[in-house]
Amino acid sequence: MTRIGRRLRGWTNGVLDLPQDVLQELPRITLIGNKELYIENHRGVLHFSSGQLTIALAQGSLEISGQELMIRNILGQELAVEGIIGEIRYKGSEEKP
Amino acid sequence: MKEPPLSSLRGFVTLHVTGPAVEKFINAVTEAGIVIWEVKPAGNGASLNLLLDDFFSLRPLLKKTGCRVHVTARSGLPFRLARLWRRKLFAGGILLFGVMLLLFCSMVWTVRIEGNQRIASDDLLAAARQEGIYPFQWIWRMDEPDKLSKRLTSRIPGLSWVGVERTGTSITIQVVEADQPEKRPLLSQRHLVSRTDAVVTGIYAEQGRPVVGINSRVKKGQILISGALGDEENIEYVVAKGEVKGLVWHEYNIEVPLKTTSSSYTGERKDRTYLVIGDWAVQLWGYGKSGFSKSRTLTENNMLSWRSLQLPLGVMTEKELEISYASSVKTEEEAREEGIARAKSDILARYGTDSTIKSQKILHEKKDNGKVYMKVLFEVEERIAEELPIVNN
Repeated sequence: MTRIGRRLRGWTNGVLDLPQDVLQELPRITLIGNKELYIENHRGVLHFSSGQLTIALAQGSLEISGQELMIRNILGQELAVEGIIGEIRYKGSEEKP
Repeated sequence: MKEPPLSSLRGFVTLHVTGPAVEKFINAVTEAGIVIWEVKPAGNGASLNLLLDDFFSLRPLLKKTGCRVHVTARSGLPFRLARLWRRKLFAGGILLFGVMLLLFCSMVWTVRIEGNQRIASDDLLAAARQEGIYPFQWIWRMDEPDKLSKRLTSRIPGLSWVGVERTGTSITIQVVEADQPEKRPLLSQRHLVSRTDAVVTGIYAEQGRPVVGINSRVKKGQILISGALGDEENIEYVVAKGEVKGLVWHEYNIEVPLKTTSSSYTGERKDRTYLVIGDWAVQLWGYGKSGFSKSRTLTENNMLSWRSLQLPLGVMTEKELEISYASSVKTEEEAREEGIARAKSDILARYGTDSTIKSQKILHEKKDNGKVYMKVLFEVEERIAEELPIVNN
């Protein structure tokens, strides 16, 4: 994406008041209590164990730690996580892991 | 959404994936558009569910990521069917049972006929069979009940209505028979002759030729209405029918006692019950004396029997009924009246209730030994015709 394009997009967002995930490739994360987590617009699974789950995003990654984590289903860009979720850490692309 | 729709119908497998990069495998699977669910870390890999259809497209992905899969569970209809297929006889039995049940349910088992009195059930059943109603007939091969009833009505004469009703596997044919005129009895050719000596007072010939006139004297056995028509050469015999009335004399010897004693039950009774064993009778109930001055005892024996065999065991009941006697004395006049009334009712009973007593005459009367003796002559108008069959030989 060119610089002008990016700026144009940012400006459109500002003017039209559209949600960010529609226009930019940002994930939409829904958390229901500490039991369920829905992530849309993900880019795959990076690490997978019952204690920790790392999910790749368009920019950066999402680290979920908890107990008895399990991916309930994966459908294209959607992913549902079930278990006892303790911690969610969003790592932007700028941030070095 | 937890799992794809109808996954249990389409069949799915639970896989255990091991390898250096399980995550890569999961990503590859997702990218390939394969739906997986219940991805759980297990052991040193992960377990996941996958539709059976997608299982065979896993192979290139496995090769690419260097993972190994191990099927831990198979569930869903295709696997069940496969398991059933291994027990073909059992599965066949289940199928056969279902099919047989279905077939037997769609079969007529009983045909019942209701409401017939004159027409034999067998005839009706035979007619129904012609229309396709019989046991072990397929229900779907039979016609509509209303059509069947219409055709049965036209097939069997003497029926005014037929209703065919099917309840489950039994068929009820309800029948209403048409009213038919009464059949006239078959009669043989005959004359009507006089039963007794009489004087004819009326003659009416319904069929045949009257040969005597009114006021003519007839002897016993004389032909009154002849069943022979025509002359000597052209003769035809018919059934003579008609009514002939005549005056007949009856002589009655009547005796009436003046003093009569009659007994009647007072209604008081005493019952005794005995148990009978062989020749022995043991009284069970009704001890004590009745205290009746005059009584009549009725004994009833109820012996046990098995089939035609009489057992020497039973119950005997004795009913002692009290009786009272009443005597009455009649006058001579009353006795005469009673005697004549008795004779008249005897005439009516003997010669028909349409007989009329024209006159009565006491020929002789005497009183002796407390009785009245009478000789009475009655002149009665009564039917005198009697049938005499014509024998041609």
